[in-house]
Amino acid sequence: MPGRAPRVIRTEAVVLRHRRLGEADRIVTLLTPGHGKRDAVAKGALRPRSRLAGPLEPLSLVELVLARGRTLDIITQAESRQSFPQLHAGLERLAAALYLLELTDRLTVEQQEPDAVFELLLEALGRLERGDGLHLVSRTFELALLEAAGFRPEWERCVACARSLAADEAAWSALAGGVLCRPCAAGHPEAGPLDGRALRVLRAYQQSPYEEAARIRLDPDLAARLEQVMHALARATAERDLGSARFVAAARTAGGLPAAEAAPGEAP
Amino acid sequence: MSSGPSGRGTGSPIARLVEAFHRLPGIGPKSAQRLAYHVLRAPAEEARSLADALLEVKERVTLCGSCQNLTERDPCALCEDAGRDRSLLCVVEEPLDVVAIERTGGFRGLFHVLHGVISPADGIGPEELKIEELLRRLRERDEGVGEVIVATNPNLEGEATAMYLARLLRPLGLRVTRLARGLPAGADLEYADDLTLGRALEFRQEV
Repeated sequence: MPGRAPRVIRTEAVVLRHRRLGEADRIVTLLTPGHGKRDAVAKGALRPRSRLAGPLEPLSLVELVLARGRTLDIITQAESRQSFPQLHAGLERLAAALYLLELTDRLTVEQQEPDAVFELLLEALGRLERGDGLHLVSRTFELALLEAAGFRPEWERCVACARSLAADEAAWSALAGGVLCRPCAAGHPEAGPLDGRALRVLRAYQQSPYEEAARIRLDPDLAARLEQVMHALARATAERDLGSARFVAAARTAGGLPAAEAAPGEAP
Repeated sequence: MSSGPSGRGTGSPIARLVEAFHRLPGIGPKSAQRLAYHVLRAPAEEARSLADALLEVKERVTLCGSCQNLTERDPCALCEDAGRDRSLLCVVEEPLDVVAIERTGGFRGLFHVLHGVISPADGIGPEELKIEELLRRLRERDEGVGEVIVATNPNLEGEATAMYLARLLRPLGLRVTRLARGLPAGADLEYADDLTLGRALEFRQEV
């Protein structure tokens, strides 16, 4: 990059998470459009009258001013741009949003993220906010994020021998990152069967624009299968358990109530 | 296998004490050394009372079987107090929150301490909290609770926890409420975040 990095950056950012730093400060993990994912310090954010604490809650879009520090940037100003009130109004919607944040955090590398990831996340949060189906938004985001982060799953051809596969003859492996033909699956002890209907939806989600993907009807059984596949893929790619994926399931079954927040076109 | 006159590593009593202080939150290596040498220079009586206090807190303080607060006897004084309103149950994140709410003097009901808050990305789910104990308390023991006030912090994790609890508790036929959220005393509207200001408007009161 030509020239020296500026000492002060003004940027938008989605707050992915934060953690404590000492008695009163916080380290906030930000996803920015032009400067990738980066950690910055919010000094005094744990004090009750802090002007930084409110805007810097995770799951919000902020505009902020960062002063370059030696190791970590310091947040000098923060102003809320979008706080996604609908995401805070329902448990399942909130759980889905938390999952998008954690997935983004786990699949991105500090300071090297392509700008596309910021747009993807903001778009997905916006769709959740306006009430789109939780499964639809989560699955299409997972596929797009995996692709942007360089982990595009392969749903068309066997990942081992590159043979084109019909939807009903495929096995799949999260570790291998896609579908396998029967003979190749024998060499992958972790491979399992993949429902043909689910595979067709995954192919469609990967290839078509969102508006078209939104027209595919998901019954509860199909939605559950898709979620199972994508959560397994996310876990294998992130190489760790995603706590928010478990919370998505816990939120759905809490209180023994059926999913009440599904959008049209999804499970009742 | 340790010990020996070398004075290095975990064998030396001084090194062990420094190491022990260093493990405390907020204590760096220099502070740990300073504390260790302070103990070393202090009268034996002072050191003994510190040691006793440390042991006593571990041996005598347990969790109340009912409210899960820290206590020396089970059930705790608050749970046993006949003057408390047993129809109100306030759910808080930490024992210190009980102290804070008691300080207001405005609440005469009972408490339940969760010992944390749902924070999925940090691996803390509902199972890691005292939620099962809360459910058992409300379902099995007939304490006559009619309203559960969820007093978790007004942040993302606190909201998630509150909504999760509400889901679990409503089917039990309980009224579930949440602490009001708005502007803190001495705040400045200009610097309030949208969510807070929005709630403050929504739950405005007649003056």
